[in-house]
Amino acid sequence: MIITIDGKQCEAQYGEYILDVARRNNIFIPTLCHSDALPGQGNCRLCIVEVLEGKRRRVVVSCSYPVKGEVEVLTNTEKIRKMRKNLIRLLAAAAPDSDFMRDLQREYGLEEEERFQVYRGEDCILCGLCVRACEEVGIYAISTVNRGITKKVSTPYAEPSAVCIGCGACARVCPTGSIKMKEENGRREIWGKTFALLPCPGCGKPFITREELAYVQAKTGLEPAEILCEKCRQKRAARKMRDVFKDVTMK
Amino acid sequence: MLMFKRKPVKTVLVCCGTGCLANNSRAIYEGLKKRIEESGARASIRPVTKATGCNGLCERGPIVKIQPDDIFYCGVKATDVDEIFERSVLNDEIITRLLYLDSSTGERVKSHRDTEFYKRQHKIALRNIGEIDPASIDDYIERDGYRALEKVLTTMSPQEVIDEIEKSGLRGRGGAGFPTGVKWKQCARVDVFPKYVVCNGDEGDPGAFMDRSIMEGDPHSVIEGMLICAYAIGAERGFIYIRDEYALALKNMAAALEEARKRGFLGRNILQKGMNFDIEIVRGGGAFVCGESTALMASIEGRVGEPRVKYIRSVERGLWDKPTVLNNVETWANVPVIINRGAQWFRSIGSEGSPGTKVFSLVGKVKNTGLIEVPMGITLREIIFSIGGGIPRDREFKAVQTGGPSGGCIPKELLDLPVDFDSLTESGSMMGSGGMIVMDETTCMVEVARYYLQFLAEESCGKCVPCREGIKQMLGILEDICAGRGREGDIELLLDIGATLQEAALCGLGKTAPNPVLSTIRYFREEYREHIQNKYCPAGVCKELTVFYIDQEACRGCGLCAQKCPLGAISGERRRTYTIDETKCIKCGQCRDTCRFGAVKNRGRRHDNNH
Amino acid sequence: MPAGSIEEGLSQAKEIIGKYPREQRFLLAALQDIQKHYNYLPREALALVQEHFSVPMSRLYSMATFYKALTLKPKGKYVIKVCDGTACHIRGSSLLVEELQRLLRIAPGETTTDGKFSLETVNCLGSCAIAPVMVINDQYYGRVTTAAVGKILEDLEAKE
Repeated sequence: MIITIDGKQCEAQYGEYILDVARRNNIFIPTLCHSDALPGQGNCRLCIVEVLEGKRRRVVVSCSYPVKGEVEVLTNTEKIRKMRKNLIRLLAAAAPDSDFMRDLQREYGLEEEERFQVYRGEDCILCGLCVRACEEVGIYAISTVNRGITKKVSTPYAEPSAVCIGCGACARVCPTGSIKMKEENGRREIWGKTFALLPCPGCGKPFITREELAYVQAKTGLEPAEILCEKCRQKRAARKMRDVFKDVTMK
Repeated sequence: MLMFKRKPVKTVLVCCGTGCLANNSRAIYEGLKKRIEESGARASIRPVTKATGCNGLCERGPIVKIQPDDIFYCGVKATDVDEIFERSVLNDEIITRLLYLDSSTGERVKSHRDTEFYKRQHKIALRNIGEIDPASIDDYIERDGYRALEKVLTTMSPQEVIDEIEKSGLRGRGGAGFPTGVKWKQCARVDVFPKYVVCNGDEGDPGAFMDRSIMEGDPHSVIEGMLICAYAIGAERGFIYIRDEYALALKNMAAALEEARKRGFLGRNILQKGMNFDIEIVRGGGAFVCGESTALMASIEGRVGEPRVKYIRSVERGLWDKPTVLNNVETWANVPVIINRGAQWFRSIGSEGSPGTKVFSLVGKVKNTGLIEVPMGITLREIIFSIGGGIPRDREFKAVQTGGPSGGCIPKELLDLPVDFDSLTESGSMMGSGGMIVMDETTCMVEVARYYLQFLAEESCGKCVPCREGIKQMLGILEDICAGRGREGDIELLLDIGATLQEAALCGLGKTAPNPVLSTIRYFREEYREHIQNKYCPAGVCKELTVFYIDQEACRGCGLCAQKCPLGAISGERRRTYTIDETKCIKCGQCRDTCRFGAVKNRGRRHDNNH
Repeated sequence: MPAGSIEEGLSQAKEIIGKYPREQRFLLAALQDIQKHYNYLPREALALVQEHFSVPMSRLYSMATFYKALTLKPKGKYVIKVCDGTACHIRGSSLLVEELQRLLRIAPGETTTDGKFSLETVNCLGSCAIAPVMVINDQYYGRVTTAAVGKILEDLEAKE
């Protein structure tokens, strides 16, 4: 079916989320808690848009609102901009030292916060991506704890987790750099636990914890020699591609 | 022919609702029961003693009723047991001093039906409460119990049941007032099985206890309502989610389910009509947000009670992603009566848009606190001043809060507002589950707003940004205002952030969270301004902005205030005047509440600044 | 009811958990039963729950900190709950809390060092008609005044 987003006609499948349709059509809607690998959480609400369905006009979050009929979507009305501005202002007070939030603040013409209580130190906006990432890896080392305004992300009992493999997936998806991961002298420290890093069989640089290596091996059945760092993996992929290409051109 | 008129068996009903229990009604029940049992020989026909659910008039508890003479005793003490037994059970005398005292006429009233408190009430959902022993399924059956179930199973198709409920115009009593029949119809239409029927008994609004009373006092009415829905939509399993704090409700509901199973109203092949349905109880974990339907379902599934994005409704994808009808306790209790007496009858009660009755817990600064059921469309004035008897000490009525943390405060200019779903919403409040908290001149509206936000700050699930961060910041601003740190522009900022929450929050809790703030600003903006600009709390509640003093002209020197002061901050001489030592005063306000001459006044902090 | 202590061993916890089928939906109920028995969720018992239901510890911890009925710290012999529902609030429940804080020298959410009293403020207990309300273990006290608070505590102390 065809839906209209900001006046542009867009082809959409039944049940598809508005955000996905918009992105495919190069219409930008800001998001924070959305990642292509971990979509549709609906926590940060930045991706709000207005949907016109018949006579009904309402505000929905585009990351989890499914297309069910031929609707008109407005992503950047005055109302939406105003609410988004308030959301960013609220978020910036929770994560004042994050570059990501500062950029957004600037983009929306917001000045240094004067009235709200500003919470320094954590910079966590509870987008939930880290918890989702950890679950996705299959480790379940962290979760949200408490509720209401005291909610936060933590390991059980705020102690070094017994199950954490130090893969760092949580830190990588964090949009505000709130999860601290330190690497020094072949060691990685995260969530209060220190891991020894093993060298990459390709380049020799330390890149993976012993625990993660064992986990990946068990899960994929790969040999340790086949488990490479990001850079070497890309190189290998490029080389393979070149070989295939060479084969093709030689024929 | 000589007619032998047998004297009917006397029934002694002792209220064992929570309010009366806290005043030792269990001892009265045990005492009366013992006396009656021991007296076997003396009484020609042995009377029956019953422990009933809440009668509603908790203010005057403990309550004892004697039927069939319809005698209504209040404020009964364990020491009254012997006298009641001798005079009113064995004999037919009335103990005048225990009868209800009508505060407006000063007269004693024999039957509760003639009291101002009960006269204007109309009981549908509460029809059996106070009249039956909740532990007895026979008591329920005797009062038409399970007749509606029999009726639908023998004479009605599922579609006819849905039509009847839809025609009745019954709207969900849990808060938003969604039409119950429409919900059932939408669920019946979905061709996915299994389907579930869920009862929301996680009553969490502060100041509301109607669901508790129904579950405690008439559990079978809820079970029967759920059964009728199960038949209509084709469900075989149901769940009742009950707050863990409601120990008596849990106990009575569990016992009722067991009895219903024994009698063949639950289980397989119900009433030999081939219907299968059973109900399980799930105990709530202590989270207000679990009153929100998707959070409640997550909790039943054994997860953290976080709401989910609700663009696909629970009637299609609810519990375990299966079609689910969820209604609240009071809604379920209405269903059997509608089936028995018909949609037409139901529509004849209440107002056009909100047929039927609504149960309210009338509490706060009102004389007759308790549980009431009134036809929709009744005015707030009738509820507060006729049923409730007005404000204690004849202080000035200021506002009534309805709808709990999702609702708002309605001021005295709107006292003649008819109470129904739509007019309450229009006024900036909402029906909610039915808490009605009366506030007088000694209640600070800014502090009330702060109180609700504090509540929500703890009770929000914390998942989405507007709710978590928005409440946090709004609360911070309100705390500032109450502590004399309010700034110019605060009111506007509260309105702005509030509006964002209303539209951008994930679930109903977050969307309605700003209501207590927005409604108090709407009607009591001047009070906010007093706090912000003049650093003055007119109600004398916000401690930083209050300075109590004794008006020397008005003081009669009775000395009561000095006796009540917990810190000995008041000194003076009897029959002369008293004064408050401001350096010792903690502003608890007990002296003001005690003074019969209104001599304790609040001059606020502004005078410290100005003079 | 006085609760069992962890020193008694975990056989009770095993028994409690064992009553439930290994399905996620019984998780909350099992945790509530453990809470009732021990007056909190002992770490060792949580480990048993984890094993029985095959759920990650992080999930359990998340639930244990989300639901107010569950606690991770032991509570006192007498749990004093002061209702802070709206009706109680406008009838002065916060003054009761202040008085209790003064007498017990603990803040809400804390337990006295001798393990005798825990102080909590709780949401509406549905006894608004007799506000302000205080509940100690299962005993309700209605229309409590600051003066009455001291008396009630004294009576409990005397019972010891």
